[in-house]
Amino acid sequence: MSKRSAQSIGLTGSSSEQIRSQLADDADMAELIEQFVRELPERAESLLRAARQAEFEQVRRLAHQLKGACGGYGFPQIGELAGSVEQMSPKGAALSNQEVERLLQTVNELNSMCKRAVAR
Amino acid sequence: MTSTTPTNLPLVLLVDDSVDVHRLLQARLRHEQFQLIGATSGAEALQLAETMPVACILLDLDMPVMDGFEVLRALKDKSSTHSVPVIVLSGLNSSDDKVTAFDLGATDYVTKPFDLSELRARLRASLRLNHLLTLLAERADVDGLTGLGNRAHFNKRWSEQFAEASRYGHALSLAMLDVDHFKKINDTYGHPAGDEVLQRVASVLQSSCRQFDVPCRFGGEEFALIMPNTGPADAAKVAERIRQEMADLQFPRHPEQRMTISIGLAGTDGGVGAMNAEEWLESADKGLYQAKRTGRNKVTVNNLTPSQTLRLAKAG
Repeated sequence: MSKRSAQSIGLTGSSSEQIRSQLADDADMAELIEQFVRELPERAESLLRAARQAEFEQVRRLAHQLKGACGGYGFPQIGELAGSVEQMSPKGAALSNQEVERLLQTVNELNSMCKRAVAR
Repeated sequence: MTSTTPTNLPLVLLVDDSVDVHRLLQARLRHEQFQLIGATSGAEALQLAETMPVACILLDLDMPVMDGFEVLRALKDKSSTHSVPVIVLSGLNSSDDKVTAFDLGATDYVTKPFDLSELRARLRASLRLNHLLTLLAERADVDGLTGLGNRAHFNKRWSEQFAEASRYGHALSLAMLDVDHFKKINDTYGHPAGDEVLQRVASVLQSSCRQFDVPCRFGGEEFALIMPNTGPADAAKVAERIRQEMADLQFPRHPEQRMTISIGLAGTDGGVGAMNAEEWLESADKGLYQAKRTGRNKVTVNNLTPSQTLRLAKAG
C-alpha cells in the first residue's frame, strides 16, 4: 500500500476526525478541559499498558474513572467506550482468551479515540 | 486537598477517589454559597468529617479500599457526624444501590454524569436541611428561661463525661444545686420574681465555674454542674464559691430577701469503681438532701474515689 492511499483511507474514515468537547464554549470549563485533554493520551496509554499486562482490576478502575471524567468534561462518546471497557473487565472474573482479545481490541480503539480529543 | 481559606460559608465535603471529579466540581461550584473541601479516600473523609464542622457531604460510592457504603455506615455510627446530610454520587442508576444508600441514612442520591443545575439545587436543599437540624438540636438542648443546657443536655454530657472518666480513670465531679425556699419566693413575690432568681442562679453558675465545666438546669429550681477532670477537693472549692456568691446577691424585687442554695457534690480523684452514672447522680442528690436537712446554704461532699468507697462500705 502506497503512502498516498493510506492517507486517503485515514481521511475518509471517521477515525481521524477530531473529537471536540461539548462544553468547549463554557468559559468556566475552558482551562479544565484543556488540562483534561492534555492528560488524556497518557491515561489511555496507562489503560493500554494495564490491559497488555493482564491487570484487569486496574483496567476496570482506570476505565471507570475515565468514563466518569469524560462525561463531566463533555466527551460522552469516549466515556461510552470507556464504559464498555469497564464492563469487559468485571470484578474478580476470570477472562477467556477470546474475552481478553476483545478487551485489548476495545482498549486500542479507546486509545486512538482519546488521541483525537481536542479542547476547542 | 483541604482549602485553607477561613470563611463563614458552610463547608461541603466532596469524597471521591477521582481527581477529575474534584477539579470538575471545584470549577462548577465555585460561585455557590459554600466552601468545597475534598477527600480522595474514605479514611480521609471520616477524619475530616470528625474534625471539621461539615454541613453536607457529597459521597462517591465506587471507591477502592473503603467504598461509599462503608463510609456512610461509619459516618452514621458516630454521634459527631451522624446528622450531617449525605448526598450519594454514583455512576450506577440502580435501584438496589439507591435503596441501600437511603437505608444506611443517605439524604439524597445523584447519578453521574451530573446535571449541574440539579446537583446545585440538591446541594442547596441538603444545606437547608442541615441548617434546620442544627437549629433544632440547639433549641432542644437549651433551657429557654436560663440559657443553660437543659435536662436532655445534662443527660447527654453526663453520660459522656462518666464514660470518659471510667475508661481513662480521670478525676470527675458532679454537683447538684437547689435553691433554698424557692416556693416561698414564687408564692410571695410572684412567678416573675421566681424566674429572675433562676436566671440569677444561672448567671452565677456560668460566671463562677470554669470554661470546661458544664452547668445545666436540671429541672424546676434544681441545677447540675459537671466538673470534668476535677477531684472532689477542687470541686468543693468551686461549689463553695458559687454558694457564697449566691448568698451575697441582692435582688431588686425583694432586697430584704436573700436567696441561698444548697449543694450536694460527688466526685472522684480517679476511677469510679463499680459505680454507674445513675448511682453517681444519686450520691450527689443524697448530699444535696443532707445539706438541706442540716440547715441549707451549705455544700456536702461525697468522695467517691474507689479506695474510699471501699472503706466506707466496710465501715458501714
